[in-house]
Amino acid sequence: MKMKRSTRKAIPLLILATIIAILFLLPLIWMVFTSFKTLSESMASSSILPQVWTLENYTGIFTSVSEAPIFRWLFNTTVITAVGTIIVVVVDILAAYSLARLNVPGKKVILGMIFAALAIPGIVTLFPAFYMFKEVGLLDSYIPLIMPYTASTMGVFLVYNFLLAFPKDLEEAAYLDGASQWQILYHVIFPAIKPVAMTLAVITFLAIYNDYLWPSLVTNSNEMKTITLGIATLIQGSNFVNPAKMMASTVIATIPAIVIFLLANKHIVKSVTNTGIK
Amino acid sequence: MKTISKWLALVVTVFLVLAGCSGGGDSADSGKGENGKVQISFINGFTGGDGAYMKKITDAFNASQDKYEVVELQEKDHYTKFKSGEYDLVVIHGNNLETYKQDGLIQDMSSVLEKAGIAETDFHQAGIDTVKLDDTMYAVPLDIHPLTMFYNKEFVQEAPKTYEDLVKINDELQAQSKDLYALGVPSSGLVEFYMLMIAAQNGIDLEKDGYLNFAQPEYAEALMQFHDMVWKDKVSPAGLGLDGEFQTFMKEAQEGKAYQTAVALTGPWFYGGAKEKYGDNLGVAPIPQIGSQLAAYGNSHTIALPANVKDEEKLAGIAEYLKFMYTPENLINWADGGQAPVHLPTLEKVTAEQEKYQIAYQNSQQFDDYVSAPQVYQFGEQIRYMNESVFSKVVTTEKLTTDALMKELEKATEMAKQIAATAPQQ
Amino acid sequence: MYKGASYKIWSVLMVSPFIIFFLLFWALPLVLGIWISFHNWNVSAGNLGFVGLDNYKMILTSGTIYNDLFMTGLKNTLYFVVISVPPLVLIALGLALIIDNLPDKFKTIYRTIFFISYSISVTAVSAIFLWLFNNNGGFINNVLMSLGMKEAVNWLGEQPYAWLTILIATVWWTIGFNMMLFINALNEVDSSLYEAADLDGAGAWGKFWYVTFPQIKNVGFFIVIMTVIASFNLYGQTRLITNGGPEQSTNSLIMNIQTSVFGMNQLGIGSAMALLMGIIMTVILGLQYWLSYRKTD
Repeated sequence: MKMKRSTRKAIPLLILATIIAILFLLPLIWMVFTSFKTLSESMASSSILPQVWTLENYTGIFTSVSEAPIFRWLFNTTVITAVGTIIVVVVDILAAYSLARLNVPGKKVILGMIFAALAIPGIVTLFPAFYMFKEVGLLDSYIPLIMPYTASTMGVFLVYNFLLAFPKDLEEAAYLDGASQWQILYHVIFPAIKPVAMTLAVITFLAIYNDYLWPSLVTNSNEMKTITLGIATLIQGSNFVNPAKMMASTVIATIPAIVIFLLANKHIVKSVTNTGIK
Repeated sequence: MKTISKWLALVVTVFLVLAGCSGGGDSADSGKGENGKVQISFINGFTGGDGAYMKKITDAFNASQDKYEVVELQEKDHYTKFKSGEYDLVVIHGNNLETYKQDGLIQDMSSVLEKAGIAETDFHQAGIDTVKLDDTMYAVPLDIHPLTMFYNKEFVQEAPKTYEDLVKINDELQAQSKDLYALGVPSSGLVEFYMLMIAAQNGIDLEKDGYLNFAQPEYAEALMQFHDMVWKDKVSPAGLGLDGEFQTFMKEAQEGKAYQTAVALTGPWFYGGAKEKYGDNLGVAPIPQIGSQLAAYGNSHTIALPANVKDEEKLAGIAEYLKFMYTPENLINWADGGQAPVHLPTLEKVTAEQEKYQIAYQNSQQFDDYVSAPQVYQFGEQIRYMNESVFSKVVTTEKLTTDALMKELEKATEMAKQIAATAPQQ
Repeated sequence: MYKGASYKIWSVLMVSPFIIFFLLFWALPLVLGIWISFHNWNVSAGNLGFVGLDNYKMILTSGTIYNDLFMTGLKNTLYFVVISVPPLVLIALGLALIIDNLPDKFKTIYRTIFFISYSISVTAVSAIFLWLFNNNGGFINNVLMSLGMKEAVNWLGEQPYAWLTILIATVWWTIGFNMMLFINALNEVDSSLYEAADLDGAGAWGKFWYVTFPQIKNVGFFIVIMTVIASFNLYGQTRLITNGGPEQSTNSLIMNIQTSVFGMNQLGIGSAMALLMGIIMTVILGLQYWLSYRKTD
């Protein structure tokens, strides 16, 4: 009885939530259906569903691979996000552990730098960093697309805070049992910081995946673009005044991200909530 | 512990492999390639549909050669890369040539052209006008891509030649449906072409002491014509945005919901998209006379020699490559890609097969009336405020007065002056 | 524990990869940027010599093109911060409250739907909104006109509609993240407090104001700061949806800094602008911290 009452009370709220949900999904639904429309229908149409269904926009993508190598862009993004995320997570955890537990020499100076860097916005280092990579001739390669993200201090900050709040008892017990440094790290610390490592991985992945300005500075050739940047060049290019074809490309670019997102939904939810500093 | 080191090893290995195989093709060093040929790096911005046609020419050259090899790099924003690297040959737009000359990044090309057997008389005068700075050939002209007129034969039987024709077309279309217009005037996108076209068609010279002098009463009057096209004569719907001239041309009118135009004054690079939609119903013709005289405006591609190229062997290779490119059988590929070459022997071939090279042929018909961009330092920056702000005001402000427009033109001129002053001292 | 020479070596070894990356890709560019900003540095011609504070002076002297670029960019960006932060925070809070009050079995599905657009890149978002809000025959205009609107709205070519479009796109794209943070904060609120409020006969508003709000205030503050930073960095949406138009009114500061570097070739000026922008952002964030701590004390 009680359950029923609460559900009934929730009906107006459910209706409201559903209306909002439809509004949220509308752009995505529109994107998918528009990608199946013919050129003239896609240019001006008030119905969501295509009157004439066509696959032309998708086959068109495969034939214009030399102009818009979407699959190469997806590959680049996969490589960059994967390698970048792994490096950041490993490097940041090691640094945070060393800072929180091992009393590394110069700890105060390092922590000071990390806090200072958190407060200074990225635009300040953007153009000089571009100039540096230009001077050493590394533009248009994977290196500038990956390495600058490793300087982010957010990760060290997160893991460091987590470790400070984490009790030392287990480590001390392991130490008394004669465990080596690596063993403590592997058997005690890593399992403990898994959630925060996951958080860091998700944040880093999203930051690299979403970045648009930096990749647009350091890449030139079509083959080195990320998918995010590739879509931008399609928007600005002269060969895509065709919204249907544009949406077909956007669908291909977006579906992998949405699928990964849905699969990892649980972890992402946890990790976002982890960043909420209380 | 083992797993961690394995992970680290994996990351490092993957990273090294990626670093190794990335980029590439960047080797502009003066040495010889692996095959012992002299390598010539050629950088251009042909990343659109035209890229494949230039590649065809280069590939054919490489196949015909055992002494030289041209390495062609096609990149968007190739200017940024050119400014920061060393290359042997570069494509520069006609309106940028003066900037690169003043920055000292390109050099006199006459001796290379002589070696290649290319003479000024091989080109249409419009092409020569764009590449000759201070009476010196700073580049070899490749093509001119002027403002082009597309028309939809379903609505327009004969290409309009004057503004009166456009008004007549508009009246007929409006009688049919309120959603049909003669043409669309965009508020941004190709507006630089519109603004310089109207200057040329009214015989106004915008250049003064190295900067663009927009603040001329006659120019304000001329620009007001675009305002009147939207608000007085209503030959264009109001409120068209970026690339509006082409987008409206591609739409299908829907009662009260979408406008469609019968004519588009637009860039020739949209030809592929328009042809795909309209097929044989697509007409292409020179732009009509809107101002007081007939004149065409647009931009052009030229091939220039970077200042750092001194090596005799390389210069000989470049001459060889240009000699190869500038033969009708090879350069016709460029016309096939939709560009109108200014090389006269190639033009003859285009004219002979004008159905096949529709867009190239029609655009070559505008060469005699072509007026190129004023040769000033940082042309694009000098005109930026006009492009991004003033033109949009002209076509979106219904109650715009010539006085208000003059104020804007004075501001634009002041900015152009400041940009001109950043030129390196000579 | 953790004493002795071997630990010292370990600790240095473990922290050094990060330190190296940090110095190489953050500290070095920062120093280089400051150094460049004191020079007349042309992208084509290279370093043309030390000019002291001239670049900064030029940017701050009214009437110069650089002042115009910087000030319009700053004005536009601040405008966006002002119009975007309240909806991005308040709507997120509203959505979180809705989800918090839904029956448990519906929570996950709605949470996922409201959050899904966050997984899409800014460029894909721009591609979608660019065509949805096309003024001539675009989907939104067509729907509005079917509902009886007389004349098409020029979404991308006229103010205030252009900002409205950018705002809607931004809200749709990023609101999920803020919402998740609020949901988490709401979950942490002690439910016994609500029961106590029920006994006191508090209404829904009373419960929110006296029970919920004090509990989520800190997270809310964190969200405001994050949102201000994100809005300050406005770039992709205005670059791709409006391209700075109409009449340069959506040219953001980052877009204008990019123009001064790659359009005008003035790397020195551009670096000085970036540093000024950094200083302004840091001051604003500092003020926010100060205000909030003063209040809580």
